[in-house]
Amino acid sequence: MVMENIIEVKQLTKKYKEVTAVDGISFSVSAGEIFGILGPNGAGKTTTLEMIEGLKGITSGQATLDGHDVSKHAHLVKSLIGVQLQSSSFFDLLSLKELLETFASLYNRKVDAMELLREVQLEEKAKTYVKELSGGQKQRFSIAAALVNDPKVLFLDEPTTGLDPQARRNLWELISTINKKGKTVVLTTHYMDEAEILCDRIAIMDNAHIVALDTTPNLLKLPGLETSLHFRVDKECSTEHLQKLEGVTRAEHEDHSYKLTTGNAEATLGSLFKHAKECGFKLIDLQLHQPTLEDVFLKLTGHALRE
Amino acid sequence: MRTLLTLTKSSIKMFYRNKQALFFTFFSPLLIMLIFGAIGLDKVQKIDVGLALSVPPTAGTAQFVEALKQVPSFTIHEGIESDLRDQIGNDKLSAVFLIPGDLIPDNPAPLESVLNPGLDTVPAAPAANTSETRTVTVLTNSGQAQQAGIAASIMGEVLDKTALKISGGASLFKLETQEINSNHLKYVDFLLPGLIALSLMQMSVFSTAFVFTNYKEKGILKRLIATPMRPATFVGANVITRLIVSFIQVFTFIIVGVLYLKAHVIGSYWLIALIAIVGSVMFLGLGFTISGFSKTTESVPALANLIVFPMLFLGGTFFPISSFPVWLQHIAKYLPLTYLSDSLRQVMTKAACFGDIRSDLLWMLAWSIILVGTANITFGFEEKRQ
Repeated sequence: MVMENIIEVKQLTKKYKEVTAVDGISFSVSAGEIFGILGPNGAGKTTTLEMIEGLKGITSGQATLDGHDVSKHAHLVKSLIGVQLQSSSFFDLLSLKELLETFASLYNRKVDAMELLREVQLEEKAKTYVKELSGGQKQRFSIAAALVNDPKVLFLDEPTTGLDPQARRNLWELISTINKKGKTVVLTTHYMDEAEILCDRIAIMDNAHIVALDTTPNLLKLPGLETSLHFRVDKECSTEHLQKLEGVTRAEHEDHSYKLTTGNAEATLGSLFKHAKECGFKLIDLQLHQPTLEDVFLKLTGHALRE
Repeated sequence: MRTLLTLTKSSIKMFYRNKQALFFTFFSPLLIMLIFGAIGLDKVQKIDVGLALSVPPTAGTAQFVEALKQVPSFTIHEGIESDLRDQIGNDKLSAVFLIPGDLIPDNPAPLESVLNPGLDTVPAAPAANTSETRTVTVLTNSGQAQQAGIAASIMGEVLDKTALKISGGASLFKLETQEINSNHLKYVDFLLPGLIALSLMQMSVFSTAFVFTNYKEKGILKRLIATPMRPATFVGANVITRLIVSFIQVFTFIIVGVLYLKAHVIGSYWLIALIAIVGSVMFLGLGFTISGFSKTTESVPALANLIVFPMLFLGGTFFPISSFPVWLQHIAKYLPLTYLSDSLRQVMTKAACFGDIRSDLLWMLAWSIILVGTANITFGFEEKRQ
């Protein structure tokens, strides 16, 4: 029997002396999905993850993984999950292969280290030390280390932070490959694009709370989020006319710059071109601005994701 | 169990791949040993000898004694036999001459000349009434065999020359030697156990304090407890590694000490091993405590040296504690290193048995309980958020 929700989190709270890092959040993760927690630094993403991983005590609320209460069966839960910490480093003086074997022994397992290294494309680095790896290689190795126990759930805490674009894409590919092999992935990120590209569902976290949780397309349908067209023109043209174009909900202008807010970008674009031709003005620098998770975040929290 | 084994293997690999740690663990103590060996602190210019007269000396004997005092290699301490024997026992004297008061019965030749080289041509005095042979006994300090040997042979020579002067060659005197075992042997015999204790301390404290602070700082410990591994297993593997290293240290230094510095190790190796274990555990506790207090590896040397450095001088490594001022002795004798170096010294140089070092061992156990206790309080795998 496949359990539908591999992770259940109810009213999870973490309080330190002065601050509440996580304030009564609830969500569930279904088996086989990539679940993202998106939010700025300090939102409580890592704390949330570490409570579920059994690394941090839970102040109140409950988290279960594969049906096991995390705070009561931390030891068992740890054997079911693979963890990549935000800044996890490894022993300096063991080679990658030795490290994987050492880590496997922590789970009382034996592992085909070479096979695992092949999976993360680090086969030829088997004999090197971690400190000799590039940032992207380190993260890939860190994922390999999280896979030594063939975990049910893989937790990745900001897996691509600090990586160059090429290395990030590379890592995304690796994460989806692992996911396609049947592993549930829970990751945190403060990159919109990462959440959008990788995650089946996203929990947006800000200031210790989850402010929204849904699939990306659904999040983007949040009421109040608008698609807008931005352009300049070579001749004066009246906002009143623009206002009447198909789909346009609002037309604004400032000097020669115009902004049309629309509920149907496709229709508006068509009629805008037609209108321009009829009135004999040229559209310069036409830009289509569709809502992103950034807008969703801004809309929900009133501030930008990264300030 | 498999986890412990694999972790221990990994931890051993990491230990011997750490060049810096290897240097401080093995090479720097060896270097100290070799340097001290080369300086040769044993080669003192003057030999301390005791001199005891059995009965009030005759005029001739008194003159002989006076002349003996002029021998440049001797510092002569006169006293009564039993005191002087004790002083050999305490290693204060290399040899003691027991001279019969009537060694030279009457009217001997002017002896100064006898003792001055190049004056052998002074005519011999007529033979006196020397019917019997007088015996001079030399008590030699087995721990300072070299000096004692020199003292005895000088005495032999002096007696020969004196006999030549007095009787023209007749064997008037007999020289007998008796070996006496001293409590303290050569300096290197004193140094070797101290140096072993010191290096056990250095290795145990620094290798754990640095390594575990580094693990903590870099988040390695946190990564480890994200696995089902029990922290005790990991600590256990590291402790086993360091105990193995401590055995290697002890026996390397003993071998080098014995072969190169001609040190004497006479005690039980089992007891030495037992002391090494207790001592290492005690200092591993200190190492973990220090890494519990240190937030960064940079703060380790400051904190560790603050504790270790005074012990280096006060813990009986290089100097005997009895040479300190009394108030300092009261502090020094309670230091963990003192118990370790003292018990090692007792066993290595005096073949002390378990009963002899029981109090040292108990004190070390007490320190172990304290230090392992503080380690438990201060050192944790979980990071403590301020």
